[in-house]
Amino acid sequence: MKKSIRMTREVVLAIIVAVFILFLSLTTNFNTVSGIYSFMLDISPTIVAAIALSLVIFTGNIDISAGTIMGFVAYTAGKLAEAGIPFVIFLPAGMLVGVALAGLNGYITVKFKVPSIVVTLAMNMVHIGFYATFLPMSGWIENLGENFTWFGRGRFLNIIPYGFVLAFFVSLLFMFIMKYTKFGKALYAVGGSIQSAMYSGIDPDRTVIKAFLMEGLLLGIAAVMKATTRSDVMPSLFIGRELFFISAALVGGVSIFGGVGKIFGTVMGALLVYLLSISMIYLGFQDYYQFALQGIIILAAVYITVTDFSLLKKSYCKETDEFPGKKGEEA
Amino acid sequence: MSMTGNKISIKLTHQGVLVTLLFGLIITFGLIEPVFFRPSVLLDVMAIMGDVGVMALGMTYIITTSGVDLSVGYNQQLSAVVFGMVYLSTRNLALAIAAALLCGTVLGFFNGLIVAKTKIPPLVTTLATMYLFRGISMILAGSMTYSGFPQGFRLFFTYRLFGVLPIQFIYFTAVFLILDSLYSYGALGRNLKGMGFNEESVHFSGVKIQKIKIGIYTLLGLLCGFAALMYLGRLSVAKTSIGDWINFQVITAVLLGGTSINGGVGSIRGTFIAILIIGVLKKGYTLMSLSGNIFNFTLGTILILSLIVFAVTEERKNVVSSKIRKTNIPTRV
Repeated sequence: MKKSIRMTREVVLAIIVAVFILFLSLTTNFNTVSGIYSFMLDISPTIVAAIALSLVIFTGNIDISAGTIMGFVAYTAGKLAEAGIPFVIFLPAGMLVGVALAGLNGYITVKFKVPSIVVTLAMNMVHIGFYATFLPMSGWIENLGENFTWFGRGRFLNIIPYGFVLAFFVSLLFMFIMKYTKFGKALYAVGGSIQSAMYSGIDPDRTVIKAFLMEGLLLGIAAVMKATTRSDVMPSLFIGRELFFISAALVGGVSIFGGVGKIFGTVMGALLVYLLSISMIYLGFQDYYQFALQGIIILAAVYITVTDFSLLKKSYCKETDEFPGKKGEEA
Repeated sequence: MSMTGNKISIKLTHQGVLVTLLFGLIITFGLIEPVFFRPSVLLDVMAIMGDVGVMALGMTYIITTSGVDLSVGYNQQLSAVVFGMVYLSTRNLALAIAAALLCGTVLGFFNGLIVAKTKIPPLVTTLATMYLFRGISMILAGSMTYSGFPQGFRLFFTYRLFGVLPIQFIYFTAVFLILDSLYSYGALGRNLKGMGFNEESVHFSGVKIQKIKIGIYTLLGLLCGFAALMYLGRLSVAKTSIGDWINFQVITAVLLGGTSINGGVGSIRGTFIAILIIGVLKKGYTLMSLSGNIFNFTLGTILILSLIVFAVTEERKNVVSSKIRKTNIPTRV
């Protein structure tokens, strides 16, 4: 009884992903070396960025400017690599850019008590306007050499990309952090109920800012991971990608209200969203069907979360906080 | 009572600041480009802001209830595409206009239904439907652009009254007067502000908040459909990039106009002036041949600054602290 696996949302997702991969490998080139390699290459940055977004969503916030922050990181890394600076320096530099920009989002959100979605929406616009206006050639860098691309294109045993290994360890690390550290507990607590968190001695402001800083760090890693697979880099590379990261987190069971969710779920969500989108490409749908699909996925995932009573019970303060009248009608 | 008096005086000063800003901008652009002082150029400001303007007026209602609609731009885009498709396949103008208005209304109703009937927050709902509407309009139109609308239709939306006053401005003012009278003088305005402050108490005082919510989102949808017609009358090409950045412009106008993003405080008149400010900025940038990206960059900065400026004023602090329990914004008490 104790040892039996409970059918949590994460386990169900993992099974769906496994079945999905099985079918894809039976019908497409998924079972070949190049198929597996390109799958791992594509999925790694998405996983890391989805974990980054999850950290912010755990606290009840959101970051719409994640894609454009990654653009700045990619530009910084590309510019440094163009000047011959090695990976061990441009990766931390890129992470620093991510931390600075995401930290600014977090600071404005917390300091001026405005919803993060509006702040980051505005920041999104500022970022895009900035690099289209102030960067030479809109920040397009081409002909990057081996010192830039070795990380993105390198592989272990001719099949596993370096980025995938990094994404794997980042996932494990954050599963551990969210489960066993004070920081992880604080994120859930603030997302669950700010007041309860405050009464148990957690500073909500600092926790939210920390979540944004950590998000920036991970976005930095994800952006460098993706950018180094290419020999040309531009800041507009990630515009609109935040949609995938957010829907990955939400499909993985992260509650948009904060306080609920698991990193393992996010990873499975990222895999599922990616598999869905490439299946649509295999089925011959045009690229722009993705927008409609992601919109429906977000709506469906959030709808399941708000109607899932086991999840609602976990976010204890949320339910009693909102419309008691409406609850009475439903009962 | 004294509280009410207090609030009105603060709002008046805020609108005073906006009007000063408006004239300051006009004078600055006029000094840089003397052509800006010509009446025809100033009137053109009203013409180019008509479509964004009507959406901003409807959005003020929604932001006052502490909701938001991010899907406005792509609602307008989808309505425009539907107009183009129906007109080019049937050549029936009345049918096409009806289809565009109906499309906008249905999409707005869809948003309102989800927001009112489920617990999904409006921000997330409309973020999702924003991508959904964008996707649908791209699926319908593909890479096609629709053009070749009849002269009569264009005239209906580009006519200049007495040869000078753009008809878009008449439409914008008419919508403004109707919405402002409902907002400032009726029970509806009080209910909207009350919903922004505390939805429960409004609900318990017998107001049907679900109906109001569905109503205001549907109204905004209708205005989006109308905005699509105004846009097509002016530029007469329906394509799948109409909606880009429109939601930013609309939300910036509403927040710059003095409506609190947390709800409960709002001003349709402020939105009216803010639209004119953004219009002057747009026209000024066009005359100085600066790109749309610089315009967007400026608007983004204005949006963040207006969030910050209102956050530090005393009034907003009161609003926010009374809403701590309801919203998810971290704060020290």
